[in-house]
Amino acid sequence: MSNPTRDRILSRLYKAQSSAPPFNEPERPPLPAEQMAGEFLVDSFKALIEAQGGCFERASGNDGVLKVLADVFNRKGISRAMASTDRVISELDLPKWAKQKGFTITTQKNYEDRSAFKRAVFTEVDAGITGAAFGFAESGTLCLTASGDMPRLTSLAPIIHIAVLPSNRLISSYERMAETVFGETPPSQLILITGPSMTGDIQATPFKGMHGPKELIVILRDD
Amino acid sequence: MKPQTHRYKEIAREQMTDRRARGFLDLLKALAGKRKAAYDDFPDPDAAREYSRAIRAAAVAHLPQLLEQFEKSATRAGAKVYWAADAEDANAYIVRLAKERNISYVIKGKSMVTEESGLNEALAAEGVQPYESDLGEFIIQLLERPPFHIVGPAINIDPQEISDIFIEKGVMSDATTDPVELGYAARCYLREKFHHLEMGITGINMAVAETGTIINVENEGNIRFCKSSPDIQVSIMSLEKVVPTMKEALFMLRTLCRSATGQKLGAYVSMDTGPKKQEEIDGPSELHIVILDNGRSTIYEDATYREVLQCIRCGACLGNCPIYGKIGGYSYGWAYSGPMGQALTPLLLGLDRTKDLYYSCTLCRTCRDVCPAGLHHPRLLRRHRQKQREKDTVFHGSGLNVREEIGLRGFALAAATPTLWRSAIRAARLAINRKSNGGIVREVLGKSEGWLASRDLPCIGSPTFNEWFRKNRS
Repeated sequence: MSNPTRDRILSRLYKAQSSAPPFNEPERPPLPAEQMAGEFLVDSFKALIEAQGGCFERASGNDGVLKVLADVFNRKGISRAMASTDRVISELDLPKWAKQKGFTITTQKNYEDRSAFKRAVFTEVDAGITGAAFGFAESGTLCLTASGDMPRLTSLAPIIHIAVLPSNRLISSYERMAETVFGETPPSQLILITGPSMTGDIQATPFKGMHGPKELIVILRDD
Repeated sequence: MKPQTHRYKEIAREQMTDRRARGFLDLLKALAGKRKAAYDDFPDPDAAREYSRAIRAAAVAHLPQLLEQFEKSATRAGAKVYWAADAEDANAYIVRLAKERNISYVIKGKSMVTEESGLNEALAAEGVQPYESDLGEFIIQLLERPPFHIVGPAINIDPQEISDIFIEKGVMSDATTDPVELGYAARCYLREKFHHLEMGITGINMAVAETGTIINVENEGNIRFCKSSPDIQVSIMSLEKVVPTMKEALFMLRTLCRSATGQKLGAYVSMDTGPKKQEEIDGPSELHIVILDNGRSTIYEDATYREVLQCIRCGACLGNCPIYGKIGGYSYGWAYSGPMGQALTPLLLGLDRTKDLYYSCTLCRTCRDVCPAGLHHPRLLRRHRQKQREKDTVFHGSGLNVREEIGLRGFALAAATPTLWRSAIRAARLAINRKSNGGIVREVLGKSEGWLASRDLPCIGSPTFNEWFRKNRS
């Protein structure tokens, strides 16, 4: 870990600190939505997602989710989709469901390597379907954690991203998530998603789907 | 990027008459309102801003400890940390990584620090094609222009001009001035490149010492692509970007996004702790984190200037600055514009090369009032002026010219000697008021250069306040 540049930079910085100042952490002020609970969480989450250009659906149990999915597939003309295999999604057994309905749904496990998976997720599918580890009412945000069951590109490369959020995972603010997620083994990547891919870089004109999904559809699953 | 800081006045004059720049700069006022509304969503907005400032101050105060802790945590998570002394060092490291793997092109997420280090030029010189992927950066890269604004680099550019350059460079084939169609053309052009990308390069908004995590905030998703599609990820930060714990980082996300764009949170925030794990099908198997000094440790050695390292590059100070609001970002001549650029650039490039930057300020303090990182810009700029006059050797102060030096010494002497002051005022009133034009004096000795070229001197009153007060105090 030791190298001359590193040591030189650090020794200059240490020397410049006349003495290591004590760390007097100021008290954190109250957070937006901190006191929110129950249906207020849902109302705030829905309002903020929609304000960011996302779409909010609500479903009862896995059967309800499948009903909403069928409706979304038909409405948007989706015939092929890539699904993640995290717990929320694998419960739905989407490949089997799709076969019955005449759609095609694959997961990253159907591809032998990165390049085959990338080809499919970039060029072949109309939508990506993932679960969400958390939702935050304070900003209308979804939280996904990358893993073997949650590829990064499934929620990014397809033009439509459909995310299923169990309602008991909807919380007020980010801090409670961090306590559980950044424990012993943090995920290689944690992703917070607040609306579809956006830009205003030309004349401040809003444009959805700049690089990532043009549409974000969140299905809140009540159990 | 080659600094143009010596052309400040020339570019500013030109920009003040530019219609497109004006249109955008007027829009900024609306953004200031949006920013305030976003803060109002905190139960106590002032306390939120103060807490955010306290976090940055504490982070800078503990910089070496936090950097060491960050290095340890990031390395434990499997990242490779590289310390770069200066821009050449950082660029050489990244170029070498690309060359060793026979990489023909890289894609970059928006990163101010690579604008500073000139990474694109270094890559291109070695035959590695760099593509900027933030839409604004992509446009200014094609046009070979500096960023107009640190958050909206191409926001002032005429869609016709974008259409022309897109056709010239083969981004699209049919002309259009519709911003949405232009954005779509850029999407299609870059998508193919994202698909086959082997090495992605990003900046870093925050590095968390406790967990070894690096955080990026964006709206477009291009940074996420740079961190998901390729097998190698290089993320570069200037050394002050570190914060102590995830708790502080999460809070700073709230103030960063509100101050930058008036959003509660950017569309995408991604936090990497090490490279991908074995069982993951995408994400980088190699994560390189470059920690760049490039003059910051010299700044850190100055206990007063150290404050400038608290900056989080949100751009709030630009949007509220009355001067930036007239002249736009090009005038500042380098990667960093507005008050944060006026504070930082002279310390990185030298006071002698950047004189106009720290004199072009009314010291109104609006920047300081909105800053979520606790910078006192006017105080820093006044210190630049002082260090310039003192011919500071560390930051290359070059002194004043003889006329200014004599003038200031004379003024100081008179201001400290009441009798001399009173007679000097009487003499000056005779000499100066003769040149009055509508109550304003623009030249004294026949030439309208130097101080009076950009400053209006009001006529000296008769009686002066001092004379009036002596007469009427009883």
